[in-house]
Amino acid sequence: MAREQEQSALLSPDFLTKLDQLSLVSRRIFAGRMRGERLTRRRGESVEFADYRNYVSGDDLRFLDWNIFARLERLFIKLFLQKEDLHVSILIDVSKSMDWGDPSKSLYARRIAAAIAYIGLVNFDRVSLYTFADGLHDQLAGVRGRRLMFKVIEFLERTACDGVSDLAAAGRQFALRHPQPGIVLVLSDFLDKGGYEGGLRFLLGRRYDLYVLQMLSPEEVEPTLIGDLKLTDVEDGDTTEVTVGRALVNRYKANLHAYCGGLRDFCARRGVNYLFTGTQVPFDQIILHYFKQRGLIA
Amino acid sequence: MNFLSPTGLWIAAGLTLPPLIALYFLKLRRTVQLVPSTLLWKKAIEDLHVNAPFQRLRSSLLLLLQLIVVILGALALGQPMLQSTKTFEDTVILLVDQSASMGVVEPDGRTRLEQAKEQAKRQIDNLREGARAMVIAFSDRASVVASFDSDRAALKRKIDEIEPTQRSTSLAQAISLAEAYAQIDLLGGEEGGADRAPESSAPPATLFLLTDGRIADAERVAVQRSDAANIRVIRVGSRGDNVGIVAMDARRNFERPTFLEAAATVQNFQPAPVTVDAVLYINGRSVDVQTVSLAAASGDGLAEGAPSPDAATPGDVAVAAFDHVEFEGGGVVEVVLRVDDALPADDRAWTVLGEPRSLRVLLVTPFNWFLEWALSSMNLHLTVMKPEEYEHAPDSAVLDGARSAYDVVILDRHSTSRLPPGNYFFWGGVPRIDGVAPGPVLDNEIITNWDETHPILRHVAVETMNVLQWLRLELPGDAVSLIDGESSPVLAYLARGGRQFLISAFSLVHEDEQGRLLSNTDWTAGVSFILFMQNAVYYLAGETTALGRHALRPGDVVTLRVPDRATELLIRRPDGRQDRLPVAGSETAHYGATDRVGAYHVSPAPPEGASFAVNLFDPEESNVAPADQVTLGAQRVAARAETVDVNRPAWRYVLLILLVILALEWIVYARRVFV
Repeated sequence: MAREQEQSALLSPDFLTKLDQLSLVSRRIFAGRMRGERLTRRRGESVEFADYRNYVSGDDLRFLDWNIFARLERLFIKLFLQKEDLHVSILIDVSKSMDWGDPSKSLYARRIAAAIAYIGLVNFDRVSLYTFADGLHDQLAGVRGRRLMFKVIEFLERTACDGVSDLAAAGRQFALRHPQPGIVLVLSDFLDKGGYEGGLRFLLGRRYDLYVLQMLSPEEVEPTLIGDLKLTDVEDGDTTEVTVGRALVNRYKANLHAYCGGLRDFCARRGVNYLFTGTQVPFDQIILHYFKQRGLIA
Repeated sequence: MNFLSPTGLWIAAGLTLPPLIALYFLKLRRTVQLVPSTLLWKKAIEDLHVNAPFQRLRSSLLLLLQLIVVILGALALGQPMLQSTKTFEDTVILLVDQSASMGVVEPDGRTRLEQAKEQAKRQIDNLREGARAMVIAFSDRASVVASFDSDRAALKRKIDEIEPTQRSTSLAQAISLAEAYAQIDLLGGEEGGADRAPESSAPPATLFLLTDGRIADAERVAVQRSDAANIRVIRVGSRGDNVGIVAMDARRNFERPTFLEAAATVQNFQPAPVTVDAVLYINGRSVDVQTVSLAAASGDGLAEGAPSPDAATPGDVAVAAFDHVEFEGGGVVEVVLRVDDALPADDRAWTVLGEPRSLRVLLVTPFNWFLEWALSSMNLHLTVMKPEEYEHAPDSAVLDGARSAYDVVILDRHSTSRLPPGNYFFWGGVPRIDGVAPGPVLDNEIITNWDETHPILRHVAVETMNVLQWLRLELPGDAVSLIDGESSPVLAYLARGGRQFLISAFSLVHEDEQGRLLSNTDWTAGVSFILFMQNAVYYLAGETTALGRHALRPGDVVTLRVPDRATELLIRRPDGRQDRLPVAGSETAHYGATDRVGAYHVSPAPPEGASFAVNLFDPEESNVAPADQVTLGAQRVAARAETVDVNRPAWRYVLLILLVILALEWIVYARRVFV
């Protein structure tokens, strides 16, 4: 029941309208970290001059700049911008803890994923979607073009939350399967008992253009629990007996703050774009405002 | 520790423990709550445990309630008291009457002494924190039961140890003891305290007198250092119905020693006429009954406006007389009143009579018709000797073994040193022993004083006696003067080395220059002289001492003559207990454990008899109706009859509140509304 509602919410006309608006405002394509723009044209179609360099034997003679040679009697190779596909990979956490909150973190993550994927597709980037929990679960690899948006929606709709978070395993598998550079967006709550550092390090090792979006439900940020409770972890069934009072709640908040701060610092030190959001924040605001700010969207 | 109300304790425990245990189990059952991850919660708990050994006090209603519960519990343990009587005294002295009249069993089944002890303990309970109290028990003597202490439990324990006695009541000693202790206590801690003026500094102690008000010497008590304002009399007792024997005598018929004459004086102290049966027992066997009818006592003196309301109201007196009772041998004569009254101790009276025997008396005299006539009229074996015959008589004539062969040797105008152990009666002469010397003859002196209570002078009209001249006597300090002259004893008693001497400084006759016998006194003409001779001879022979002993009161010291070669006297008390009295090497033994009325039996039997009797014989004690006022010295002190208000313990209420709050706490916990 909840799932149907989520899916309908995912596909709601309201949402699709917003995606269209996004496509309008994101006419400019993704901004990369490489010099110059990332072009979405095929290789060889590029006519944009980039630079010169000295000829070395074996270079394609077609790219010699004969005018320079005439003037300076030295061989220079004209360099044009490389025209290559931009790979946009979106990793969505589908561990059981994501199925939490109102709106649920999972739905929120899928909406963000859909939005980013839509923008990518509109700009003819190669968009891949992955779900992960204790490893990569499912994938939709290398779709391109607006007309394949339905595939993305279909993929996101069939995503179910199950399993324990293991970012390290998922990051390792992804890095192995996906050697080519590109933009990698990780959508997760990062509540991983094994720690987030290992997984992120695998991703960093491939020199991806890495974006990290941590999302938590309002119940997690401002817990409303009270009294003597036996807390049960939805993922691994681990239990903790607590007597929740103001002091413990404050302590929890301080810990959460420190945890998120630790993740932010970890990312900042390694040049990873980190963004934290509560699921109560409208997702389009994240796309339009924050991602622009962080340079994901031009 | 004492539980004042064990039932309450069990009820409270039964009410509180099961819910508490239930609460304990309830607390263990936590609500299961799903969370996306316990990661941060675990960290938070660890942080709380690691960082804060004492977590910051949370403003928790539960905690508050539990704190109140704990505080109330502690309060209850502290035994709070509801202050209904305020006491400001720093120093309190409790005087507890333990005399015979305090043994009256009151309608509530307890004796007056038990009531007084309870009141005393209440007073102890009412003491201010840090105040000190002292307990003195008194009857005809006073003893410190507990000296100044602020330990209430110890004081109460000491109060419980006060035993009832059957002695009479005398407050003077108790008051002076209390004042002495209060004074020592007041000044004890200060330097040179003993020299300080008693009027100085600290407030005087407050005396609580717990009594039924029947105090014989109350008016003579000199309250010196404290005034009557500091003396509170707490009256105990309410019963006044008593009939008692206030005097008893039993003696052999003068002419027929095998017949007994006994008389008991019975007095009615209750305001209603009464008829009682007086039963005569001889050695535990009832032999005669007399019915005595007594009119009502004349009522309360106060109601009639008598000058002294505390004087014993004289009740109606009657004598139960038993005549011609056959009495072979000796033994214990007992009169018992068949009556159920307040004080049982005075419903019985005892007298001990020795076995009748014919005394052997030796009269050593040149010639004395009066003595011979008086002695021959008595029922005894009389031998008469001249002084020179006595001095030269062979040992076999005067000695029986080492002792004198005669029960009594009477020496008329003859001083001698031939004094084997025995009993001697000197007329106008002295025994030649250390410390006794005859002086010059005294003329024109008069008799000034005499001891009419001494058995020898019983019924003797000394006041009618005229003596012309007597010897001045030099006597040792332990001699007892029975009749005093102006400058010298006239009649003296002396016991020395197994011998008894009765020394009369005058002789009945004396010879003038022409050798004519002249009478020295007019005493010989009266019947009083015969009585005196009988008293003296029987007393010296150890016969009348038993009669004399009917004056023994509880607590009196009995002097017993030790039988030959006895090393130990075994004394059996009326209640069956036995006392051993080591007597080896001494002539006399003193026995003081005569607290109970009744007949005491001594073995081996002393010469004066195997038994002696202790009787109450105190109208003041028998008059058990409690007095409303006690006059101490010149001041009247009203006796409070109502019980002492005690500061009631409040811990029950505290516990009740505790239970309510506990229930409230449970409700709050169960609802988990407020944290």
